[in-house]
Amino acid sequence: MSGEVQREPLIEVENLYVYFYTYAGVVKAIEDVSFTIYKGETFCLVGETGCGKTVVSRTLTNIVPPPGRIVKGKVIYHRDGEEVNIIKLSEEELRNIRGREIAYIIQDPSAALDPLYVVGYQIAETMVDHGTVKDFKEGFGRAVRLLKEVLIPDPERRVKAYPHELSGGMRQRVVISMGLSNEPKLLIADEPTSYLDVTVQAQVLDLLRELKRKKGLTVLLITHDMGVVAEMCERVAVLYAGNIVEVAPVDELFKRPKHPYTVGLLRAVPNPLTEIEKLESIPGTVPNLIKPPSGCRFHPRCPHATEKCRREKPPLIRVGPSHYVRCWLYAGRGEEVAKSE
Amino acid sequence: MADLKRFLVRRAITFIPTIIGVTLITFVIAFVIPANPARAWAGGIKADPHVVAAIVKEYHLNDPWYVQYYFFMKGILTNSIVDPLFNYKVMSYMLARFPITFQLTLFALFFLVALGIPLGIISALKKDTIIDAFVRVWALTGVSVPIFWLGYIFIYVFFYMLGWITVAGVPYPKVHITGVPIIDALLSGDWITFAENVKRFILPGFTLGFAGIGIIARLVRNSFLEAINSDYIYFAKMRGLRNRRVFMHALRNALVPVVTVVGLQFGGLLGGAPITETVFGIPGMGRAMVQAIFNMDFPVLIAGTLLAALIFVITNLVVDILYAVIDPRVRF
Repeated sequence: MSGEVQREPLIEVENLYVYFYTYAGVVKAIEDVSFTIYKGETFCLVGETGCGKTVVSRTLTNIVPPPGRIVKGKVIYHRDGEEVNIIKLSEEELRNIRGREIAYIIQDPSAALDPLYVVGYQIAETMVDHGTVKDFKEGFGRAVRLLKEVLIPDPERRVKAYPHELSGGMRQRVVISMGLSNEPKLLIADEPTSYLDVTVQAQVLDLLRELKRKKGLTVLLITHDMGVVAEMCERVAVLYAGNIVEVAPVDELFKRPKHPYTVGLLRAVPNPLTEIEKLESIPGTVPNLIKPPSGCRFHPRCPHATEKCRREKPPLIRVGPSHYVRCWLYAGRGEEVAKSE
Repeated sequence: MADLKRFLVRRAITFIPTIIGVTLITFVIAFVIPANPARAWAGGIKADPHVVAAIVKEYHLNDPWYVQYYFFMKGILTNSIVDPLFNYKVMSYMLARFPITFQLTLFALFFLVALGIPLGIISALKKDTIIDAFVRVWALTGVSVPIFWLGYIFIYVFFYMLGWITVAGVPYPKVHITGVPIIDALLSGDWITFAENVKRFILPGFTLGFAGIGIIARLVRNSFLEAINSDYIYFAKMRGLRNRRVFMHALRNALVPVVTVVGLQFGGLLGGAPITETVFGIPGMGRAMVQAIFNMDFPVLIAGTLLAALIFVITNLVVDILYAVIDPRVRF
């Protein structure tokens, strides 16, 4: 990924703000987040638990759970040459996009499936409600083929199985097959492997990669696992406490991490590209987002924090082709931009 | 299927100790009360001693308790014991009253389901609004207000003041199919008798169901809220399913625990609703039991207890089977 090649954007998120209005106060979960997902790529959002990865993914079809609300910003979806702002669409228009053009795979496959219905029915209804099959009979037939595609053995029998009759890995495959059922333009995989055994994790990742290659899917992968990032992604956005702190192509990020948080994150896990002596943890904890730290949200945990970091929010700086970082350390060492790719 | 058969056999075996236990307790209570049933049956203080002696002999009243218990149970089950006061066969008498109680229960159940479930869903969808508060108050009032008071208030308002309904008596249709008047009227298309039955049973049915409606509504509300806040409903929305289908997913899940409670209520009510039947003058099993207590009519009392216990264990069994039908995770 040189960044010089003309790439076609699929989703552009611009200066997005999402707040949660709770009893304890307003949680400023997402502030000033911008990124672009290009057609055909696998884009990764990484960050610690609670940094807002999942919330960001849900803004893409405007399905942020209450009491969350998108307060500001745009989500531009390039729909057959047309640009639509997801935030402005009606509930019915959004419903037509969800699961049809932008599909989700969620974290916990056991909770994602309705325990009272056979999995075939649940796959079929996803297609029936979007009119991609004419009835449930055809839907079940397609469900069998989908289950075969996600490598579930004996799909003719499994299609009539209830969720509790399947293993965790198989349930995750069922959820993946639902995501693929309407051949979406964008597949959002939210921690698709975190509830699975390590061996099954690898299988599911292989499957996703294979499906992406075969179908030319665009994938937004959300994870906290740097290993998964290295294995799956082309470009990465690092999210910290509701801010994107760094965006870079995956090799660049692993070889030349810029933001102190990214550096810390890479030191905390075995890095597949460089050898490190000893894993280090990042001191401190994720801040409370009702009263987020002033200036740079990372400054209380940052080893390089200065007075300026405490006072002012750092600008987004382009430090290399397709490499952006939001940090005062790089002020003057690159071009300041309003939004990243 | 083999599983179901084994389950049924296993459960049927557990019926026996339950029923012996329940009837034995009732019998022991009747046995230990310091009264002389033989003299009461013979006509009270002025009773002829010869008659009293004959009754004592006939009903084994001087034999040890286990002989008496055996005699009563056998007499009831084989329908050979004759009521000492009214000269009818005890079991036939009780069974003849069962359809009336069944009809009353049907009305109560209708209100439980037709009001309880929608009220519960509405109060879940309109959580913390005036409707929700109304249901909450209803549930609390329902369990706190005594049925006899509520029954008399309803009679006063709807019968005495407004004259909307009729009380007392059970009109039977000409044909006899199931023995339950309203069902027979419905089956034979006898609409006049049907309407007369509705007029007489609607109020006692509502009174009997009143407490249950609030309880069911609260239960439905909570389980519906749990369902709509679950991950699978959220995921259903993320898949872009139609609102109606998302709602059906939530509803079906919410109704799983409700089936159990409605079933148990049904079983409980079928055993006879003594207060409601007495207040509204309905000649069902409950009222027969109340009268039997006043008359010290032990055979009727034990027969009633036996029937109520049987009905309860059977409805329990049906609920368990239904439960497995609606929830595939449940296995026998």
